[in-house]
Amino acid sequence: MEWLFRSEFDTATTFALWSIAAVLVTTIVLFVYTMGLRITMIAATRRRQQFVLSWRDIFAGSVLSPHAAANLTLPKLRQSDRIDLLEEWNRARSIVDGSAASNLITLAYRTEIPALAHKLLQTHRVRSRILAVQTFGHLRDNSVRDELRALINHENTALSITAAHAVTEIDPDFGIKLVIPLIEVRRDWPKNRVSNLLRLAGSERISEPMYRAVRSADADSKTYLLQFARLIEAEVLDALVEDLVRNSEDPGVINAALKLVSGFRGVPRIASLTQHDTWYVRMQAAKVLGRVGQQEHVSLLEALLNDREWWVRYRAAQSIASLPFLGPNQMRQIQRRQTDRFATDILQQAFAEVGIA
Amino acid sequence: MRDIVLSGQWIFLIYFVGINMGYLLQNVIAAYGIRKYLQTADQYEAENVFSTLDIPISIVVPAYNESASIITSVKAMLQLEYPQYELIVVNDGSSDDTLDKLINEFGMQRFPEAYRARVSCKAVRGTYRSTRISNLRVVDKKNGGSKADASNAGINLCCYPLVCVVDADSILQPDSLRRVVRPFLEDPTTVAVGGTVRIANGCTVRQGFLEKVGLPRNYFALVQVVEYLRAFLFGRMGWSPMNALLIISGAFGLFHKETLVEAGGYNPKAIGEDMELILRLHRLMKAKHKPYRITFVPDPVCWTDAPESLRDLKSQRVRWQHGLGLSFALNRELITNPRGGAVTWFAIPFYMIFELFGPIIEVAGFIFILVSAVMGWLSFPEAAIFLALAIGLGILLSTSAIMLEELSFHMYPRFKQLALLYSVAILENFGFRQLTAIWRFQGLVRWLRGTEHKWETLTRSTSLAEKPSPPG
Repeated sequence: MEWLFRSEFDTATTFALWSIAAVLVTTIVLFVYTMGLRITMIAATRRRQQFVLSWRDIFAGSVLSPHAAANLTLPKLRQSDRIDLLEEWNRARSIVDGSAASNLITLAYRTEIPALAHKLLQTHRVRSRILAVQTFGHLRDNSVRDELRALINHENTALSITAAHAVTEIDPDFGIKLVIPLIEVRRDWPKNRVSNLLRLAGSERISEPMYRAVRSADADSKTYLLQFARLIEAEVLDALVEDLVRNSEDPGVINAALKLVSGFRGVPRIASLTQHDTWYVRMQAAKVLGRVGQQEHVSLLEALLNDREWWVRYRAAQSIASLPFLGPNQMRQIQRRQTDRFATDILQQAFAEVGIA
Repeated sequence: MRDIVLSGQWIFLIYFVGINMGYLLQNVIAAYGIRKYLQTADQYEAENVFSTLDIPISIVVPAYNESASIITSVKAMLQLEYPQYELIVVNDGSSDDTLDKLINEFGMQRFPEAYRARVSCKAVRGTYRSTRISNLRVVDKKNGGSKADASNAGINLCCYPLVCVVDADSILQPDSLRRVVRPFLEDPTTVAVGGTVRIANGCTVRQGFLEKVGLPRNYFALVQVVEYLRAFLFGRMGWSPMNALLIISGAFGLFHKETLVEAGGYNPKAIGEDMELILRLHRLMKAKHKPYRITFVPDPVCWTDAPESLRDLKSQRVRWQHGLGLSFALNRELITNPRGGAVTWFAIPFYMIFELFGPIIEVAGFIFILVSAVMGWLSFPEAAIFLALAIGLGILLSTSAIMLEELSFHMYPRFKQLALLYSVAILENFGFRQLTAIWRFQGLVRWLRGTEHKWETLTRSTSLAEKPSPPG
């Protein structure tokens, strides 16, 4: 009974035979490629270890002395070592500042680092371009400022934020002027990197442009930008926060601004926010009152212990427990006054957290 | 009879072409995805200076009779590299001394926590806080009979916006949280993230951390190493770019807490509670017409113990298949939602045809070949050609998974290990695959018959046993 496959599957069988050949060839290619990857990786690791050993002392010597940076004899560089040099130099450069950074820059100009960075900047590989951009930033090389400026708008997140960082490193005033309006637009930029960039520029330099950016932004952008506002100068921040808490109607903005309250400005307005319609505004207001609240705010916090939202009750209880003018007896009295079980439970937790039995 | 047999042949052939084309396509998508991911991963790594802008995470560790390993696990989880996280261990009514060990080792004291039951679970008997470690809490609850119920109790106590549910016996990479949180930082619509789970059997563990990656000596565990490479490196990575990931491993998953709570937490009635949750999240987010992402990072973040005996392996595979069927049944609106996007149009049909009902075709295929051979209907040369092609494609897929691993994380550094993985990639086609098809078929039958699932205690491998510290 050979009709089973033969009669109907003649074409299919031929196709299957060809498929087996294709599968076999592909499997062998993948196998050889994998082995090749492994061998290349082992060789590259060994080469890199040797390279790092020979250059580590040079970097260390250069960091400590400008004379060494300018005069140390440099080992001959193999073609295959150039990327390693670039990476190692960037690694060393990213952890030093001041004169040590200047020494490393002096050292870099004695090597092929600038030329290689120029070459990598022209490639299509994003990874190579990121390395090049980072290098120019660390070199504080003003000659490529315009090329880097164009890359800030690149769609690739890592490349664009690295370019923004590099431009700010080269020329902080110019960089900040470019970057601050983009922060609200480039929400794909990791927040910690934006924060590092702003920190790099310094609070004096960013205060005024950040203030203006927040003021002119719409509610959603204001909320977003306020996450970075802690990095601006204290007086500017206090003025901005007071203004937003007092005049903003958007719950998100009020919430973001309340998180930044540090002083006693605008306390009456904050107290009134304990009755806001949005639960997280009430929660944030309760939290702030725990820091800046007075005797007259205790009743407001007590009222919040009966709030329908757990977080509002919790923050109100924590705030009562942290008010410096209330002693343990007064706190227990507050607890006894509560008729709602949720209120007593939450107070019990908050008191236990600060060690009031 | 001839007509029936011939139509059967075509069903098998179409199934064969479909499943292999599907896997090969996933492979291509995964290779592209991993390459793209790695291009920026180094950069993030280099620049990932921890800042207060990272999102705090609550880790929930459900534990039932974990007395042997709970202290080591908790100690390891307290050393994770992440700026702000809390650890909530849920003692799910253990009958051993899990709770006592936690109380004694970490100075836990009963604490009047204002517990709020946002997702349902069995009654909580008490909460404890550590007198020494500020970010450690323990919840003691009545046994709910499932990991889902215990996880829900932990979720109710979480303070932070992201929740990571971890198996008590999982070994985490020290930087695992930092790696899985990345999609949440990049895309605020992200609601869940999974990472690659690897097999811990054969590895050396010290103080709850993986000290040395090794391969198991046990054949079944070794096969699972290759299986997991396939499942995670191209199975999950292939679906993730389409936002059509249907499962995040229960051993390690990170979730947006409010979305998780809105969805009702884990379903204690589901057998595969991890998959059921992801299907439910897809269903609910689509019903709300909200933009969302459920995504996957290929980084190896978690190492888990694989069953080594045939009994345990069978039990696991039957349970998985039963859970798969039940998960689809509980979320059938998603299957018929015409606006379900890639989930409804690609992922679910693929899973239903090839993963859920696939065992019917596969087992029928074995029977068909056997009967044909016995009856003398089989043309052996042609059958051998198709068998060779099936095995060849199986080996190709495994080879490709090994290549993706080498291209990305190269966790198995010795040539001997690579050779062993390739050997297994060939050997698993003779016996193991057929056996798993039969077990999956049994699981499918259990689901179709509505058999109630009974939890069995699995035998632990010795891989998680602590290597003694050197003296001094």
